[in-house]
Amino acid sequence: MTMAEYLRYIRGLTGTKIVCAEGDCGACSVLVSRIHNDQLSPYQSINACIAKMYLYEGCHILTVEGLGKAMDLHPVQEVFVDEQGAQCGYCTPGFICAMAGLAEDLKIKNQKPCAQKVKNYLTGNLCRCTGYEPIIQAGLKLDLENTPSLKDLYRDEDILADYKKEKPISIKITGPDQEIFLPKTIDEALAYKTHEVKMISGATDLGVVTNKGKLKLNKTLSLNNIENLYQVEKSDHFYTIGAKVNLTELEKKLSSDFPEFARLLHIFASPQIKNAATLVGNLVNASPIADTIPFLMVSGAKVRLQSQKGLREVEIKSFFKGGYKELDLRDDEIVTAVIIPRTQDEYKLYKVSVRKDLDISVVTFAAGYKLQNNQFESLRLALGGVGPIVITPKKLEQNALGKNLGPKLFQYLAQEVEHEITPMTDHRGSDQFRYQLARNLMIKFGDEILKELNPSQFEASI
Amino acid sequence: MIGKNVRHDSGVSHVSGESIFIDDREALGSEVFVGILTSPVAHGVLKSIQSEKALAHPNCLAVYTADDFVQKKWGTIVHEQPFLVIDKISYMDEAVAIFVTDNRYKIEEIKELFTLEIDELPAVFSIDEARQKNMIIYQAPTPFERGNVDEILKTAPHTLAGRFRCGGQEQFYMESQAAVVYPLEEDQMEVHSSSQHPSETQRVVAEALGLPFHKVTCIVKRMGGGFGGKESQAAPIAAYAAVAASKLKRPARCILTKDEDMKITGKRHPFENDYEVAFDDQGKILALKCDLKSDGGAYADLSSSILERGMFHLDNAYYLENCKITGTCYRTHTHPNTAFRGFGGPQGAMTIESIMEDIAVHLGIDSYDVRRINLYEGDNVLTPYNQKLENNLLPELFDGLYKQSDYAQRREKIKKFNAQKNGKVRGLSMSGTKFGIAFTARFLNQGNALVNLHLDGTAQVSTGATEMGQGVNAKIAQIVAHAFGLDYLDVKVMPTSTEKNHNTSPTAASSGSDINGAAALAACNKIKSRLTSLAKLMFEGIKSDDLNEYEIKKGELDSDIEFKDKKVKKLSSGQTMSLVELLSAAYLNRISLGDYAHFKTPALGFSKEIVQGKAFNYFTQGAAVSEVEVDEYTGELKVLRSDIYMDLGRPINPGIDKGQVTGAFIQSMGWVTTENLVYSDKGHLLTYSPTTYKIPNIHDTPREFNVAFISNDDNDCNVHRSKAVGEPPFLLGISVWTAVKNALSYRSQSKLINIISPATNEVIINELTKVKSP
Repeated sequence: MTMAEYLRYIRGLTGTKIVCAEGDCGACSVLVSRIHNDQLSPYQSINACIAKMYLYEGCHILTVEGLGKAMDLHPVQEVFVDEQGAQCGYCTPGFICAMAGLAEDLKIKNQKPCAQKVKNYLTGNLCRCTGYEPIIQAGLKLDLENTPSLKDLYRDEDILADYKKEKPISIKITGPDQEIFLPKTIDEALAYKTHEVKMISGATDLGVVTNKGKLKLNKTLSLNNIENLYQVEKSDHFYTIGAKVNLTELEKKLSSDFPEFARLLHIFASPQIKNAATLVGNLVNASPIADTIPFLMVSGAKVRLQSQKGLREVEIKSFFKGGYKELDLRDDEIVTAVIIPRTQDEYKLYKVSVRKDLDISVVTFAAGYKLQNNQFESLRLALGGVGPIVITPKKLEQNALGKNLGPKLFQYLAQEVEHEITPMTDHRGSDQFRYQLARNLMIKFGDEILKELNPSQFEASI
Repeated sequence: MIGKNVRHDSGVSHVSGESIFIDDREALGSEVFVGILTSPVAHGVLKSIQSEKALAHPNCLAVYTADDFVQKKWGTIVHEQPFLVIDKISYMDEAVAIFVTDNRYKIEEIKELFTLEIDELPAVFSIDEARQKNMIIYQAPTPFERGNVDEILKTAPHTLAGRFRCGGQEQFYMESQAAVVYPLEEDQMEVHSSSQHPSETQRVVAEALGLPFHKVTCIVKRMGGGFGGKESQAAPIAAYAAVAASKLKRPARCILTKDEDMKITGKRHPFENDYEVAFDDQGKILALKCDLKSDGGAYADLSSSILERGMFHLDNAYYLENCKITGTCYRTHTHPNTAFRGFGGPQGAMTIESIMEDIAVHLGIDSYDVRRINLYEGDNVLTPYNQKLENNLLPELFDGLYKQSDYAQRREKIKKFNAQKNGKVRGLSMSGTKFGIAFTARFLNQGNALVNLHLDGTAQVSTGATEMGQGVNAKIAQIVAHAFGLDYLDVKVMPTSTEKNHNTSPTAASSGSDINGAAALAACNKIKSRLTSLAKLMFEGIKSDDLNEYEIKKGELDSDIEFKDKKVKKLSSGQTMSLVELLSAAYLNRISLGDYAHFKTPALGFSKEIVQGKAFNYFTQGAAVSEVEVDEYTGELKVLRSDIYMDLGRPINPGIDKGQVTGAFIQSMGWVTTENLVYSDKGHLLTYSPTTYKIPNIHDTPREFNVAFISNDDNDCNVHRSKAVGEPPFLLGISVWTAVKNALSYRSQSKLINIISPATNEVIINELTKVKSP
């Protein structure tokens, strides 16, 4: 059962709406605080319509009803009405939760609202009535000084006391045709993992496919309650990203070393999705249009695979074996971390989608490179959405080395790239469009490099 | 009170999550759910439905087919659409059967257990093919024709010909179609529906069940958005629930998932309009010939009126001295297309706006100048359908916006920006709207209202208007509060119900507040007349007692008696009393504190046979200018700035009206940019959920967005001199699309930009690639 169904049909909390049942409209947004090391994490918004209820064991969930009542509105609700932010009202509870998440975050960071921030926090909420303008105005008029912290609405001590009564232990839920296991330790997880066990992480994809009846989960394993998988470790040479690190956290942690990747994560999806989804989940789901994979390929990242037999680390490129969603991952193995090397490389990452934000890519493009003497010293390229897996055009990388940077080189690469790819036609775009995009993105890549090298002489080659 | 930006009437309960929508209603213990089995082919003959396996499912209580409906077909204009397939399947995902379950989570599982035996037939999906096969739903009887168009086209200094094409659009109301039906004693049915047209839902349910209308009551508290999609097509959903409720004598709920809703229900009509235009060196249109062709889908629905509104709005803001406008709606094997904000108007208006851009490129002049020279102005105010455009503010709106938006300076900046060649190209375009207000079916321009005053000085008002977010309830509450000098919160607009308001018109055609607000005001004035006469007696010192009762039959309004701030004042003498005192006196003297009134929009009447008469009560006008930036590598589009300038008369609630303007604009922007309905060869809709069908999100809004209203006190033909606002600004989103055309023209070396709508990044890249190649 999803959290939204539980809230609506079991608890009668019908403020939380179900519209798309796939995490794409935000009408089901609620706020969640997870307990880590006996402390409540700051509230983050998630999509309750795809959230499996069992994944939120030991969490504090705040719905629209928990924020304020008609006769006693929360300041976020008050300003929302004043600015006529609600018309039909169906998306409104989701917006209120997302905006309360914004207010909370601004308070923690001691920042003031600005249009960009408001939009960023509300990326995951669709409204068909207002054109968003009144909602943006409501966000800008948040009076943070007179907005109580969400933490003050419900006392941490009380929540923690409740939590401790339910001693946190490994949990196994067994039903007639389903078994769900949430172990406390990685060893328990590894002992459980067999070929029939499906791993579930943030459920931002699995939640959708199970909602739509495309997949039935029989045995499910979640690493949610394994505390040390929530860490990002930074050493001199690597970032090691635990399997449970969500994309919001990842964006924050990598923003200084990998600003291009952080920017990509920024438009990757809505806050609600990024607060639930993990890098490992995106990787293992192995879609050819997964937004993170091209970067991981060109950055020389590795995955850490653990089983009862031991641990191995595999380069991302060889982790993907060539067929659609075919992985170098044994039935008894679990991906516990992604390791990204810290190098001097520069990156260019592009994502083209029908709508800029919160949309699935038509084509993705990643380049990791080093320049010297007006030439590529090294170059790694990866393109998604143009074949059954993410394509790494080896020949092009090789041919680019030793040649002087200039429009000619990139025109050449643009011409050649079409021999490396096999795009298809679907509802996001035709194969011809994808060919054209692959060519154009190569030109864009070149143009951006050339512009950085010589801004005053620059003229676009497109 | 009138003209104040008071809160939306449900604002508080919306933000607290307490507003109750259909599926938020607590389920009674015996309640059942209705699932819909749909067709896997777009065209064919249904030979049999094998439902034994489904019926064997422990949670499947019943299966119903067309045979279980007393009247088997429904339709707002033509009764031709089967509730469930009778024998012929006419579109993909057409409802074939319904089944009943006591567990809503088993709906998908049960669906899988049916087997359908179908003889598949070849299907028609394009207007062109339908035209070849003469598959016609409706053809306008008489062209809108003036002057010798063919002759001018032969002799004019410049001519262009082309085909304008725009796609459909999913309404994407957040609350999908929903109904719950409670069976009452003596076969009565209480229907709660997410419907813009409760009277239609009442009738359709009654016909499906073979009941007289008085046994069915349809109640609409609110909708989670409608946008036209719940004008006609809410009714069959209610009928499905009603059939289950009636057969099983249990409450029944039918709630579509978003996926089902998008696949099953109709959308905005795609249009393909062929035109020939003649113009002079300044861009002044000398003659325009245009044949509008719409894709009606499988059944008539509202398609004929929608086509006509397309023809009515082909001129948009521009005077056509010589023109010939014809129109045909074709039948195809897709979902029956239906109402969507604008109702064909946008598809007509966008054609001429596209032509304006082409004329500008052809002559090498600014498209603003082309529009300005063609604008309705001075004596040139006769529309192609021979109604005079009264109270014409278009020149003021265009000139005002040109100044306010710094059009000229920005044009120069854009030229410089585009000359830099930095991989981005910008465009700027102004477009207009002149939207005719009234249902073109005259009989729909009527409404009724019931107003009840209570002794504590609060009021309840019921009208045929349904609240779908547009704020009609707030406006009606303001009208009633204003009439009696009450506070806004002293008035409650009650759920729309066919037992209180009969034979109501759909809340559509932007007319909800016009018609129902006027009816409410009329009801208020009946009560107020009595109260005024009573107050006059009381102020004169006439007393009532056990023997003498105040006798007031009809009463009369008198401007000397003022109702304000919960007080009643005789202005000439300065005497006052509290309203509550007056109400109490009225009640004790057996003078009614409630009343009912009927309203009809006066002086309407249009003959489509001879193209004469008054089709519209008045016009809501406006202009918008948008600046866009196109990424030449990816085709990605950013709207940098949009400015809107509109004439809304004297708005009853400027805050709510502004929300209508921004909402309509963004919805329209979605229609012309990212909202792409893609179908498979077999007719499956491939973009059937927000993952694949992209309505604008918050980042897509213009970086700078200005909305202003021109002051206009002269619209005396509408309630409190306001103007309807729901649809007119939808036409302004077209400026985003024309700005894209303008942007691309900077790279086209004087070639015309020939793009379809929506201008997705694929459309943009294809056109850029094409026009850049030598």
